[in-house]
Amino acid sequence: MSMKRRAFLKRTSAAALAAGVPLGRAEDVAPKAQAGDTFDSDQWALIAAVQDHLLPSEPDAPGAREINATAYLDRTLADPKLDPETRELIRNGIGWLNEIAREQAQAPFPEVEPGAREDLLRYIAASSAGERWLSNLITYTLEALLADPLYGGNPGGIGWRWLEHDPGRPRPTPDKVYGRLGRT
Amino acid sequence: MSKDYDVCVIGSGAGGGPVALTLAEAGYSVVVLEKGPWLKEEDFFKDEIACCRRSTYTPNLIDERHVLEEPDGEGGWDAASTFDSGWDWWNGTCVGGATNFMSGFFHRMKPDDFRLVSAYGPVKGANLADWPISYEDLEPWYDLVERRVGVSGRVVTHPHQEPRSSTDFPFPPTAEHPVSQWIDRACRELGYHPIPIPRAILSVPALGRNACAYTNFCGSYGCSTGAKGSSRAALLDRAVRTGRCEIRPRSMASRLVSDRRGQVERVEYFDDAGEVGRLDARIYVVACQAIETARLLLLSPGRKHPNGLANNRGQVGKNLLFSAGGSGGGDLAYVGRPPEQIAQLKVRGLFVNRALQDWYVHPDPNTGAPRKGGTIELLFRHANAISRALAQKRDENGELIWGKPLKDRIKAYFTQGRHLRFETFCDWTPVDDCFVRLDPREKDKWGLPVARVRLGYHPRDLDVGRFLARKGVKVLERLGAENISWGVSGAPPQNLVAGGCRFGSDPETSVLGPDCRAHEVENLYVTDGSFMPTGGSVPYTWTIYANAFRVAQGLVEELGGKRG
Repeated sequence: MSMKRRAFLKRTSAAALAAGVPLGRAEDVAPKAQAGDTFDSDQWALIAAVQDHLLPSEPDAPGAREINATAYLDRTLADPKLDPETRELIRNGIGWLNEIAREQAQAPFPEVEPGAREDLLRYIAASSAGERWLSNLITYTLEALLADPLYGGNPGGIGWRWLEHDPGRPRPTPDKVYGRLGRT
Repeated sequence: MSKDYDVCVIGSGAGGGPVALTLAEAGYSVVVLEKGPWLKEEDFFKDEIACCRRSTYTPNLIDERHVLEEPDGEGGWDAASTFDSGWDWWNGTCVGGATNFMSGFFHRMKPDDFRLVSAYGPVKGANLADWPISYEDLEPWYDLVERRVGVSGRVVTHPHQEPRSSTDFPFPPTAEHPVSQWIDRACRELGYHPIPIPRAILSVPALGRNACAYTNFCGSYGCSTGAKGSSRAALLDRAVRTGRCEIRPRSMASRLVSDRRGQVERVEYFDDAGEVGRLDARIYVVACQAIETARLLLLSPGRKHPNGLANNRGQVGKNLLFSAGGSGGGDLAYVGRPPEQIAQLKVRGLFVNRALQDWYVHPDPNTGAPRKGGTIELLFRHANAISRALAQKRDENGELIWGKPLKDRIKAYFTQGRHLRFETFCDWTPVDDCFVRLDPREKDKWGLPVARVRLGYHPRDLDVGRFLARKGVKVLERLGAENISWGVSGAPPQNLVAGGCRFGSDPETSVLGPDCRAHEVENLYVTDGSFMPTGGSVPYTWTIYANAFRVAQGLVEELGGKRG
């Protein structure tokens, strides 16, 4: 019954990108082996490092690594029904962060030390497109934390356990998850 | 001339189900065209991604969207497609429609809701109109819905209890959360009259369906047990079992073709393969939910209907209604409470089921004259985990939070208390600036113009909403809630929609007659919420169900009475 104002899928507009952030392009990153459905291995490494910073692992609480946040995002972005501009935004953001890391820290983002990572992400967040990029990454990371494990995150319900959340029953079956239900 | 079917129903939600069932049971052949798939109990899971994060039971916004015009604050309108804004306006595109995903908070309208102008006088800048039928005309059908759809509840005496022909509900109330008792106590201390909310959910096995399993995920979710009184589970499954009702899922009605006399002679639709299908019937019943119903009529011009079917007076799509009001909430923290209270608060799955109607009519604070107020409902925040976590990702200034601060905030929100909310329901005052038309540019995947909706509202609605919200806040305060916040907005809830094809006695100002037959088209009826000139201060579903049963009985008589 609540008003569903889903704002997280806001589209990227050209104007929003003109906010002082140097634009890189995802395609500039040389493709390497061992890629996912969406990311090549460099992109994967950068996204994993960012997610690790957004939802850090702790001894008593799962972080992005434990919830398979990067694999979840990689798979989610491969959904043919996804708004193509969301996919483009995520890829573009990888380019921006690469560029900024090279300029300001003289290293690829995954090799930048944690304190400096925070500065780089704050810098990115200061532009509206960069802010939207980070907002989307947080959204998908939290989905990976709390979605049914069938979607590739939250292995064994680790996120639910951390938050003492009972996900209810019946649990979805692999043939009737989003993307498959009603297709048969 | 022989027809394919006696009756063709377009749309399978609250407006379509009662018609299909009534006609099929009376011995007539019925076909139901439904745009979406036919999902059943075994297809519904507690899957937040499928339910609420992606378009699973609704069209993808790339394929089908709306265009919404909102006030720009300077007297003009800002238009944006729902694809651009992300504000999805689909409510349930599958057999049974949005009733699959309702919470089933069921309230009847009250006698004065049928005659707002007579009872309270006109409102400046509003298009209020009395209904052409009275509460007494609809009461037997409200009663029928209790028994056929299945409404669980308990009648209590309160100042605004509407008259009933049966003493109590046919099914006992759904099981209640311990906090309901706290709410009762707080309300009584304040001098208010808490009411158990009737639910269109079976509390006991009945009507060939299972009882509720209380799994804590109801609204927005399809029901896995069949307890929820969706049009599909309660009515269409039964209609199909008569052998006289055929449901065609994935069939998108695109045009009602009218003949030289202006009567409908066939319906055209796109099937799952995108091919055009055609069929004819003696009677056509449109029930696609208010916005899509208006759109279908506007997409169906004919020789006698140059501006769209039944639209020679330009009334189709006008005076659209939503439910006005607002909402608020506060945290019932665990800290400082005795263990038994914490244990009570932590109970999951049971329903809060409490409403207040003390101010359904109350003295206008400015003039002292009686005015329409509304209903307040109390409920816990929806149990969806992802949406609750996402609500923590920005601070009070709207800035993104991440890292350990984000984790700490989420952990605290999930484990240190419960968030109790209220929602207020007031009349959506009908105005000229709230209507549906065809968008001149945007088209759907079939190449048809999409609906463009202007979302103007009457300032009165905000006044009443604020008045009620302050009462809701008092209840939260009395309960000891912390971090109380509330808001009232003119932005409508897209899932509570009606109007657009008003019924009335005057063809100049209404699309439908008192029997919901189009003034201009003898064999065309509309049975979803479109007929409502005003909507009362309650959710609409019970009224839509009741009216559709009423209209269906008239159709049986028109076709020659019960057969066999």
